[in-house]
Amino acid sequence: MHLIMIKKVLIANRGEIAVRVIRSCRELGIKSVAIYSDADRNAMHVRYADEAYHIGPSPSKESYLNGDKIIEVALSCEADAIHPGYGFLSENADFAKKCEASGIIFIGPKWESIVSMGDKISARQKMIEAGVPVVPGTQQKISDIETVNKIVNEIGLPIIIKASAGGGGKGMRLVRKREELVSAIRMAQSEALSSFGNDTVYIEKYLDSPHHIEFQILADKHGNTVHLFERECSVQRRHQKMIEETPSPFITLELREKMGEAAIAAAKAVNYEGAGTIEFLVDANRNFYFLEMNTRLQVEHPITERTTGIDLVKEQIYIASGKKISFTQEELIQFGHSIECRISAEDPFNNFMPNPGTIKHISEPNGLGIRTDGYVYEGYEIPMYYDPMITKLISWGRTRGEAIERMKRALFEYKITGVKTSIKFLEKIMENKDFIEGNYDTHFIEKHLEELLDIHNDPHPTTTDMAMIAAYIDYTSKLEKLAMSDFTVTRRNEKWKEYGLIKSIQRF
Amino acid sequence: MALDIKIGDRIANVRLVKKDGSKATIEVDDKLYDVDIVMVEEGVYSIIHDGKSYNIEMIQGNSPKNYFVNTYYSSLEVDIIDAQSRYQQNRNKDGIHSGDKIISTPMPGKIVRIPVKEGDVVEKGSTVIVISAMKMESEYKSPTDGVVKKIYVNEGDTINSHQPLVEIE
Repeated sequence: MHLIMIKKVLIANRGEIAVRVIRSCRELGIKSVAIYSDADRNAMHVRYADEAYHIGPSPSKESYLNGDKIIEVALSCEADAIHPGYGFLSENADFAKKCEASGIIFIGPKWESIVSMGDKISARQKMIEAGVPVVPGTQQKISDIETVNKIVNEIGLPIIIKASAGGGGKGMRLVRKREELVSAIRMAQSEALSSFGNDTVYIEKYLDSPHHIEFQILADKHGNTVHLFERECSVQRRHQKMIEETPSPFITLELREKMGEAAIAAAKAVNYEGAGTIEFLVDANRNFYFLEMNTRLQVEHPITERTTGIDLVKEQIYIASGKKISFTQEELIQFGHSIECRISAEDPFNNFMPNPGTIKHISEPNGLGIRTDGYVYEGYEIPMYYDPMITKLISWGRTRGEAIERMKRALFEYKITGVKTSIKFLEKIMENKDFIEGNYDTHFIEKHLEELLDIHNDPHPTTTDMAMIAAYIDYTSKLEKLAMSDFTVTRRNEKWKEYGLIKSIQRF
Repeated sequence: MALDIKIGDRIANVRLVKKDGSKATIEVDDKLYDVDIVMVEEGVYSIIHDGKSYNIEMIQGNSPKNYFVNTYYSSLEVDIIDAQSRYQQNRNKDGIHSGDKIISTPMPGKIVRIPVKEGDVVEKGSTVIVISAMKMESEYKSPTDGVVKKIYVNEGDTINSHQPLVEIE
């Protein structure tokens, strides 16, 4: 295996992940290339990169999802490699294949691995062959109702019907009663057809209070595959993760070892290369089942970086250049505890409605054990075309308790004005008894929603009075300044006087 | 000079009694405060009162008389009420009584679908317009039983926040 020198990387993404990838490029002395849509001319990744090229109109379909255009830009600026980030084209086998055909390194797995993991039924089959436990259910496309009845007799209700080409909760149907079975299958098929252009569905047993726990893996081109432990991702709302932590407060040392081995076996089964994540469901009795593999970097990768000390983007770049992973499994430890909160421009108190707009003011937290991965700045207008996540707050502590206290402190310092954000809601989760005790599963938010939304925003009366005093002083000094500027217009020549007057009101 | 200042439901009368450098005596309703107040950054005030330290960020809102105020412990919206804003408030009150309901959104977005047309009879709670923003679609429902009087936008249009979209009579 010969080494390739990657000297320039095009980042086929936007937002915080583009900025985060460029940071590692900079540390490695690699030039970075940003791409941007109409809406993103002012975006942070454009400002931060060494080079930036416009690729099309604001809607993703015409810009960040336009693979041909992106490859054209990469070729013309002589980038050696493309980093896809997450979302957009990151799990698009066709794009990875086209990169390869154009002589550009796709920083990610080979396209064949994306294909095998992308189709859920074929992924399930591969996992069974590799000895990785999967949720009980069908291994093939559902054909006739008789077979369905037979399977349901075997695994029992409740079951969940899923689209083979699906993801993100679309085309999924939960069936608790047998009489709902037939109509649910028909509906799942029609939903799958309209969402993914493919009506293939399959059946899985539905686990009642599962944990969503995933394992980070890295694999190089020399046959080395390691896992970087787990991430507990059970704090979700409508299948969207909100808070992740590592280590998981739920799993045991023994289970961690078993799941880690299964994760490595899963990656090897598809000849995986690069960084990837194996998602598992773990039931209340600590049985674990393969759910799916994400063949890319995850949003929540920083908590793994924080507890292992490994820069995952750097490892991705090393692996893509043909190098070996820079450490062995035995060298890895989980040091302390890390939590990530995803902060979105949305209004939790109005049904989590997205809230794009202009950032009027931002004060970011800082200090020991705090990392923020964001991309917005004062005066920046968050576009309405893309994801509402604007920043991620990552805390670290020697113990879980310390990581929670530190997260609370950082959320308290974090002030974003101009758009509504989920900060207050996240603070409430950090104060929740079940969360603090580590006693939660994927139903956590649903179960506690009412109390999490109950913000007693009753500031101390003196605090309110102080706010009034500041408002009084600010407003009256603005009036004074205004009056003064009228005054100076008529006496423009007397500069020294103007200076003196301005001086006299600059106390505030 | 005295000003009426509003936070939430509370309106207080605030008056400067005396001021010398950063030291000021200010009356909020009937309570006198001796404070040391300094603007430490553009729009950020540090107040020390009775040994307690307050860090107060003043962010101008929709007008020079409207502020978003952050202290470490709370985020407040503050309004300065003077003769002009009082007049406008009264006018807006009249507007609500006129019986028209105009649907708008708090955020910018794109019109996905308008399932009604002008002249349609709509029931309270039925969807009149669907807006997409940040990969999520939101349905806006009629606040009342009525008739669609006017539709100001078309499917596919990009809209600003608080822009009138559909009027129900």
